[in-house]
Amino acid sequence: MPPRLLLIEDDPKIRRFLRASLTTQGYELLEAETGKEGLAQAAAQAPDLVLLDLGLPDMEGMEVIRKLREWCATPIIILTARGQERDKVAHLDAGADDYLTKPFGVAELLARIRVALRRAAPLEEGKPNPIFTLGALKVDFERRLVFRGQEEVRLTPMEYKLLTVLIKHQGKVVTHRQLLKEVWGPAYIDQNHYLRIFVLNLRRKLEDDPTRPLYIITEPGVGYRLREE
Amino acid sequence: MPGHPEMSQVSSPLEEPIPSRAECLLVCLSPNPLSERLLHAGRRLAESQAARWFALYVETPAHDRLSPAEQERVSQLLRQAAQLGAQAVRLPGLRIGDEILAFARENQVTKIVVGKPYQRRWRRFLGASLVDHLVWHCGPIDVYVITGDEAQVSSIPPAVPRHRRLLWNYLIALGGLSLCTILAVVLFPYLALTNLVMLYLLTLVVMASTLDRGPSILAAVLSVPIFTFFFVPTYYSFRIENPEYTLTMLVMLVVSLLISGLTARIRHQARVARQQERQTAALYEMSQKLTARSGLEELLARAVAQISRTFEGKTAVLLPDSNGVLTLKAGDAIKDFDVTEKIVAGWVFRHGHLAGAGTGTLPKVKGVYLPLRASERILGVLRLETIPPERFLESESLRLLEAIANQLALAMERVELFEQAQATRLQMEAERMRSTLLSSVSHDLRTPLTVIAGCASSLLEGETKMDYGTKKELIQHIYDEARRLDRLVHNLLDMTRLQSGQIKLNQEWHVLEEVVGCALMALEPQLRDHPITLQFPPDLPLVNIDAMLLERVFINLLENAVKYTPRDSPVSITAHLKPDHILVEVADRGPGLAPGEEHKVFEKFYQSASRRGQGAGLGLAICQSIVEAHGGRIWAANREGGGAVFRFTLPLGIETLNLEEPLPEIQAVLPTETQTPGPRS
Repeated sequence: MPPRLLLIEDDPKIRRFLRASLTTQGYELLEAETGKEGLAQAAAQAPDLVLLDLGLPDMEGMEVIRKLREWCATPIIILTARGQERDKVAHLDAGADDYLTKPFGVAELLARIRVALRRAAPLEEGKPNPIFTLGALKVDFERRLVFRGQEEVRLTPMEYKLLTVLIKHQGKVVTHRQLLKEVWGPAYIDQNHYLRIFVLNLRRKLEDDPTRPLYIITEPGVGYRLREE
Repeated sequence: MPGHPEMSQVSSPLEEPIPSRAECLLVCLSPNPLSERLLHAGRRLAESQAARWFALYVETPAHDRLSPAEQERVSQLLRQAAQLGAQAVRLPGLRIGDEILAFARENQVTKIVVGKPYQRRWRRFLGASLVDHLVWHCGPIDVYVITGDEAQVSSIPPAVPRHRRLLWNYLIALGGLSLCTILAVVLFPYLALTNLVMLYLLTLVVMASTLDRGPSILAAVLSVPIFTFFFVPTYYSFRIENPEYTLTMLVMLVVSLLISGLTARIRHQARVARQQERQTAALYEMSQKLTARSGLEELLARAVAQISRTFEGKTAVLLPDSNGVLTLKAGDAIKDFDVTEKIVAGWVFRHGHLAGAGTGTLPKVKGVYLPLRASERILGVLRLETIPPERFLESESLRLLEAIANQLALAMERVELFEQAQATRLQMEAERMRSTLLSSVSHDLRTPLTVIAGCASSLLEGETKMDYGTKKELIQHIYDEARRLDRLVHNLLDMTRLQSGQIKLNQEWHVLEEVVGCALMALEPQLRDHPITLQFPPDLPLVNIDAMLLERVFINLLENAVKYTPRDSPVSITAHLKPDHILVEVADRGPGLAPGEEHKVFEKFYQSASRRGQGAGLGLAICQSIVEAHGGRIWAANREGGGAVFRFTLPLGIETLNLEEPLPEIQAVLPTETQTPGPRS
């Protein structure tokens, strides 16, 4: 059965081009013009993922997210305009899973959808894969070793922890707060600059060119994202 | 006239062109009521000969002894003189005759008009009258003596408090003399006579320096017989045995008289100096208050507060509204601002002369009104109501107030002119901005739109004939141009927000490399054809910046570099750590900047002549706004070996976070964190 996506977007042109690209990619697409309609559809049709535009005429995007999160864990990807980084963070912290900045390319959108759907899928049976690979990067969780190509990279315990959290959320944006909370604990959620220093050090150890990183991508004003395959 | 600053204050509004150098009249005023006739006579004389004329009052130490009413009369006379067309001058001096003649010579006066001397008879025997003095020393100047009706010459009775003070002074003089005498009697057995004289002299000096002139002279005159009576043989009689003592007594008298005279002179000078000092201070303070560039409202508020404080009264500024009706613009609300007050205010506004309470014109109101006269017209009226209203301003204060009013009027005019200029400039700027914005934006929006429309229509038309590669290329063009449009719109929005001051810096400690990395990622497609080299010192500290805005700086600088340089030419980004700032350079190997362009490139909508039409000319202006908002500066230069380099600084605050700094509180958490599970929990 193809994954079922719910698109809540008031602009018919955008709905049109998304329908064109998403249905050709094998997704089943439900469409809603308003927040209310969207919530009704979500309740009735149980979509696998929600694409939510933040500029809806009848409801705040935040409200839609809260209402959805009251009863379902369906991944939500928000579509926002540029220059609203604080909004993005607020929506992500309120329960949205990822975001896309308009104008966005379809490739980008598909990647986000793929990641979100994969993460929502029930865990594979048996033990998790003890080896993680991404490009030249290899992490052996059992032995707690990190390799770049053939070479072993020595990480401090915190750097290792940071890397594992990013791996856990691979492909999905992780906000600064979320990272700080998961790596250092709730007392440190405002210490963004510590996070930046650790990310810099991690990049220096893992990336070929730390300024143009291949693995740990900066989401300006929002957080970080570990690149997908 | 140099040396007489007061003149211009009093008379400048009425100054008229000097008709001829030939005739010049000087009317000498005194507190005498006769002086008014002098003034009219002077005016008739001056008018008949078309001469310019002065009205002069010499302020001697005696001025202090005049009653307040007499002092006020002098001021009124001077104002009246100004209104009659004279240059009214008040001159501090010691000898009236000498001052008059010096002034006359200095100003090439040809005729002097004086009143017939009003002098007590005994004084006439003692010395020459003023008229005699003038006639003897005038040289080529004619002296006109105007007589008056003796009956009119009535001296105004001095006020009671003054009387009482004088009485006290006399009592103190007598008491002091008695005390001195008692002391001298006690010391008589031990001291030589000459030293006792010294004791008396000391007493007289002390009294001369503290008491009025009359009492101190009385003391000086009395001291001689007292001394003779008690201490000069033969004792207890006024007879002097040894004629030598006569000399002693004579010297004692002369010395004490001289001292009291000198002291009076010094006190007069001190008073004049104090007064001038006070005026200078008040004017200086006023000018200080008025120079700060501010709007009219604030200017008036400050002036009103200052005047109210200086003159201890209620001040108001009345300015004509759009219908020409004088309305209160600043200051305290005027109680009982009735018809008469309004009429006086209107009269002052129309005629430009001061009037109101305590002046010679329209005095039956509560406030004194002064015109606010700017260089070309009267801007409004300044009103001062003393508290209580019966306490009129002294002439000195009134003159000071006039000077302040003039200063205020000029400041108001300056503000008005400044605001006009500002408005014009803003309007021109807005006009220019609108037209350039329109032309550049329409061009800039049209170029990508043309490409998009063109590519799309080609695809529509030639769907079957085109090969896959061509189609892909066209589609890529559409995509790239759409991105470019997005950046342009973004820049326009940023500019508008930066201009209107809407953008608040969202500063956090950032790693500069990361910000550059974001910019590089955003420009990925454009940078494909340009090798980028980056150089960041590993010990670069964190910078407290708004990363989103700074990313825009890098994007604009990089886009600029890419746009204006040939394919495959390298672009480098370098950061240098300086003692108090970080210096960032974005350098290319393109054609560089034309001479003189280094500053212009940062202007809004500026487009290099050789590269016209490649952008809205906003990018660098935005960079400048953002860098300056961070407290840094940005500038451009040509590189050695060709190409342009854009440099900007980011100040390092006092508190900097260093990358090398250990983070103990975080490290301390480590031991409990070691049992990290795998990726998916």
